[in-house]
Amino acid sequence: MTDSPKRILVLGVGNILFTDEGIGVCAADEIARLYDLSDNVTVMDGGTLGTRLMDPIMGCDLLIVVDAVLGDGEPGSIYRLTGEDLRKSLAFKDSMHQTDLVDTLIMCEIVGTRPDAVIIGMEPFDYHTLNVGISEVAKGRQEALMGFVLEEVVKAGGSCSLKANPSPITQEREPCA
Amino acid sequence: MAPKTPQSNFSGPVVVDPVTRIEGHLRIDATVENGKIVDVRSSSQLFRGLEIILKGRDPRDAQHFTQRACGVCTYVHALCSTRAVDNAVKVKIPKNATIMRNLVMGSQYLHDHIVHFYHLHALDWVNVANALQADPAKTAALSNSLNANRKETADQFKAVQTKVKALIDSGKLGIFTNAYFLGEKKNEAYYLPAEADLMAVKHYLDALHMQVKAARAMAIFGAKNPHTQFTVVGGVTNYDALKPDRIAEYKALTDEVIAFIRDFYIPDLLAVASFYKDWAGIGGTSNFISFGEFPTDEYNHDSRFFAPGVIMKRDIAKPQAMDQKKIEEHVKHSWYVGDKAHHPYNGVTEPKYTKLEDKDRYSWMKAPRYNGEACETGPLATVLVAFAKGHKPTVDAVTLVLKYLGVGPEALFSTLGRTAARGIECLVIANQMQTWLDALVGNVKSGDTELYTPWKMPNEAEGVGFVQAPRGALSHWIKIKKGKIENFQLVVPSTWSLGPRCANGKLGPVEEALMGTPIFDPARPVEILRTVHSFDPCIACGVHVLDAKTGQTASFKVL
Repeated sequence: MTDSPKRILVLGVGNILFTDEGIGVCAADEIARLYDLSDNVTVMDGGTLGTRLMDPIMGCDLLIVVDAVLGDGEPGSIYRLTGEDLRKSLAFKDSMHQTDLVDTLIMCEIVGTRPDAVIIGMEPFDYHTLNVGISEVAKGRQEALMGFVLEEVVKAGGSCSLKANPSPITQEREPCA
Repeated sequence: MAPKTPQSNFSGPVVVDPVTRIEGHLRIDATVENGKIVDVRSSSQLFRGLEIILKGRDPRDAQHFTQRACGVCTYVHALCSTRAVDNAVKVKIPKNATIMRNLVMGSQYLHDHIVHFYHLHALDWVNVANALQADPAKTAALSNSLNANRKETADQFKAVQTKVKALIDSGKLGIFTNAYFLGEKKNEAYYLPAEADLMAVKHYLDALHMQVKAARAMAIFGAKNPHTQFTVVGGVTNYDALKPDRIAEYKALTDEVIAFIRDFYIPDLLAVASFYKDWAGIGGTSNFISFGEFPTDEYNHDSRFFAPGVIMKRDIAKPQAMDQKKIEEHVKHSWYVGDKAHHPYNGVTEPKYTKLEDKDRYSWMKAPRYNGEACETGPLATVLVAFAKGHKPTVDAVTLVLKYLGVGPEALFSTLGRTAARGIECLVIANQMQTWLDALVGNVKSGDTELYTPWKMPNEAEGVGFVQAPRGALSHWIKIKKGKIENFQLVVPSTWSLGPRCANGKLGPVEEALMGTPIFDPARPVEILRTVHSFDPCIACGVHVLDAKTGQTASFKVL
C-alpha cells in the first residue's frame, strides 16, 4: 500500500485594500496564475475570512500561509514561521494584536484536526494606506516570496511548473504583478 | 430568588478597547457614576474610505472591492453592489437567480447567527472556568430536558471538562484570552449555574463543527470557496448549482444545520435567557430600521419575505414604510470635514482626523439617520417590523420565545431581546429554506434553468442596492458617468447601530443602549460587552497583518 500524497493548501491571507496587507493574497493569486501544480496542491485566496477558512484548513495535511508579517526586519524581508512559533507567541503575548488566523488555527485544534502549518511572510513596507496594489518594495520581492512558497510545496511532496500560456492578469488584480 | 446583575457604587471612566478581538477597531469610552453609565461614546478607529478606491472603475468591478471591505461579510457586500448596479442599469433578473441569491443569503444567516451566539456572544454570559465545577450527570439531565432530540451523556460532558481544564492549565487560552470571567476573584456578573455553563461550553464546541458545515453549504452554491463569486449584474453564474447532485449535497448539509438550530441553538438561547431575565430591562433603544430581505421580485421591496420598514419610539402598533429619501449621513462628530449631512447619493468622504481623546469628533464612522433619528438595525429591527406587520412565521416564533420566558413584547426592547431576536430570525429563516429550495427544484424540473439576463451599460445612471444582512441594513449607492463609477457610497449596518452622535447631538443606538447600564467590576466590565456584542459588531474588518514581534519568543527564521 502506498501513502497518498500530502494534501497541501497554499493560503494567501490579508486585505487587498490596504497596500501590503494584500501581499499574501497577491502571491497566492500569482502562483495560481503562473504555475501548474500537482493535484494534491490547492491555492486559495483566504482574504480575512477567519473561521470561514476552517473547512479548507481542516481538509489539508500541510497548511502554507502566505501573509504580511511584522518581524522587526527591513521592509521586504521574508520570514518562515512554523506553527510552533505561532503557538509560542500566542501563549506569552498579552496583546490582542494577534488576529483571527491564529484564533482559527486554535479552533481547528479544539475541533480536533489542526494540520501542520508553516507561514511564509514578508515584512510590509506600508500596510495602512487604503490602496489597491502592493508597494514597489513588496513588488520587488514578490518573486522571491513565491519562490519560498513553492519550495515548501515541493519539500512537502507537491510539484509545480511554469504554465506555457498563463492567463492574463484581470483588471482587479493588475496591481499585484 | 433568581440571581440578578450585581450593582456597585463605582464612579469613574471605563474604556473598552478593543471591544472585539481586533485591536483598534471599536472602542467604547464610558463615564460611570455610582455604578451606572451616565455618558458614553462609541468610536470606530478604522477609516474605511472605500469610496475613494472605487471612483473611475467599471461598475461591474465594484463588488470585487466592496466584498473586501469587511472581513467576513463578503457575500452581503458583493450582493449589495450587484443589486445597486442591477438597479442602475435596470435589468430584470430571472426568478432562479433571485432564489439562488436568497439561498446563499439564507446559508449566510444560519452560519452567522450560530457563530454569533456561540462564539462571539456566549462568553459574555457563560463562565467557562465555572463549567469545571459542574456535575456531568446533572448537566446531561439538564441538557436532555430542554429538547427531546438531545441524547447527551455524562461522559461527553466529562470529556469537555477535561479539554477545558487542559486549556486553562496550559495558559494557552487562545480564544478565551482576557475573557472577563477569568481572574482571581469570581466575576459575580456571571450567574449561570455551573451545569448550564458546562452545557453551553460543550455546545460552543459542537457549534464549531456545525458552522463549518454551514459555510460548506454556502460554498456549494457560492461557486468559489471561500469568497462567493457567483453574483453578476443581471443574475448569477452558478449553473453548476442547478445539477441534482449539487442540490442534494446542499440540502443534506443545510438540513443538518437546521436541525442544530432547532434542537440546540434555540433551546440553549432560551435556557440562558431564562437565567438572565433582568437583562430584558437593560440595553434597549427606541427606533429601528430594516430593509427587509429575501425578495421574490427584486424590483418590489414589498415582495421581501421579511418586509422592509421602520419602527419609531417603540411603537409596534404603527410600523412605517421605509422611504430611502429620508436617509442621511451626518459627520459633525466624525473625523470628516465639515458638519453637513448628506443623502448617500451625494455623500462626501473627506477624512480629517483630530485625535483619539477628542470628545467632539470621535469616530471614523459617519452617523446615519432616518428622518433625523438614530435607528438600530439588525435582527431585532427585522423581527420587530415583521412582528408589527403580522408576518405569521415571525409572530409564531416571537410568541414561542416570549411565552417560554414569561414576558411581554416590551421585553424585546433590551439586550436580551436583541439576542433573542437573532435566534428568532435564524429559526424563521431555517424554517423557510426548504420552500425556497423546492421552488428552485420545481423550476429546474419544468425546464427553467435561466440564471442571467443580458443588459447594456448606460452612459449615465444611478442606482441603489438594499440588503438586510445578518448584521442589519446595508446599502450601496452608485452614480455612473460615462460608464464608470462617478460616486459610490456604502452605508453599513455597523454605522447605523454603532455610529456616533449626529449634528443634532442625538446619541447613536449603541450609545443610547449603554446609558444606565450597571457596571459591577470596572476592571471586567462584561456588562458593556453584553450590550455591544448583542449588536453583532463587525469583528474582522480591516487589517490582518500577523505580528510576530513577541519579545522573548521571536525565534522564527529569516529567509
